[in-house]
Amino acid sequence: MIDWANCAVKQTELHKAVSRGSTHMSENWVLTEEEAVELLALLITSARIQMEEPANYGPLRLLTATERLSGMIVERASEKSREFLQENVDRIPDMHMRMSDVDAYSAALDERCRAVAACLLRHSSLPEE
Amino acid sequence: MSEAVLNNIKTRRVVREMTGEPVAREQIEAILEAARWAPSGGNLRPNRYIVIQDAETRRLIRLVSPGMFQEAPVLILICTNWDVAAEHNLPPTDRALLIDVGTAAQTMMLAAHALGLASGPVTSYSKEAVKKILNLPESYSPEMFICIGHRASTAQPGMRAWKKITWRDLTHWERFK
Repeated sequence: MIDWANCAVKQTELHKAVSRGSTHMSENWVLTEEEAVELLALLITSARIQMEEPANYGPLRLLTATERLSGMIVERASEKSREFLQENVDRIPDMHMRMSDVDAYSAALDERCRAVAACLLRHSSLPEE
Repeated sequence: MSEAVLNNIKTRRVVREMTGEPVAREQIEAILEAARWAPSGGNLRPNRYIVIQDAETRRLIRLVSPGMFQEAPVLILICTNWDVAAEHNLPPTDRALLIDVGTAAQTMMLAAHALGLASGPVTSYSKEAVKKILNLPESYSPEMFICIGHRASTAQPGMRAWKKITWRDLTHWERFK
């Protein structure tokens, strides 16, 4: 049984933590309410269907959400994020790679993780190099 | 004639990118007519088909269907009608019900291919969300979408087989020793 009350508290704390750390991010809105709800629908329904689907579909759903989010915000994002977002849309490894070459898939995701870290650094007060 | 049927079976592919070009009503009806002739356990016909062409309804369904990559102009939802199952004392766990969904799905996809249309099955969606969006009767359970449309020129080839197989790899003759 999921403890929703506890989840809610944790999510609030997470939101506060994210908000605290976001002082260096652009305050421009990059997502409309409709887009946010569409993304939310994808995430909630993915969570539900994942309970009955093969475990390796989990990353696929998360990457589908990543692609959609990138596509939604790329035109409105700041210069600091845009390059990462444009690359993100084009370079997400596909499911076939996941099934046929797990090492290549992991390496491709690692590359994306490094790219998102670089994007975070560009938005932070820390040096990127 | 038999060669044409076999060729249709061998050349059908799952298509995940479609154009917005509409599908003619007669073609949709031909696909549904084909499904009517699909094998059904005990000839009980528990399947019911919901045809969705309305753009906003299709959009909402796609939003609750993470496995629906196509933006197809026509969705056909194969439902099991539990009233029919109950009428014939079939328990909900009876596999014949899902086998009926499978035979109908393949028959519709082959019919679509024969008509020059693209198709693709989708089972990754929230059943509860789909029931709500379509206001399905309580006795209908949404089992599988068949997306129907026209193949986009940008469509990727279907997923390759994980390893090359022939029918021989899948078949064993007579008793195991």
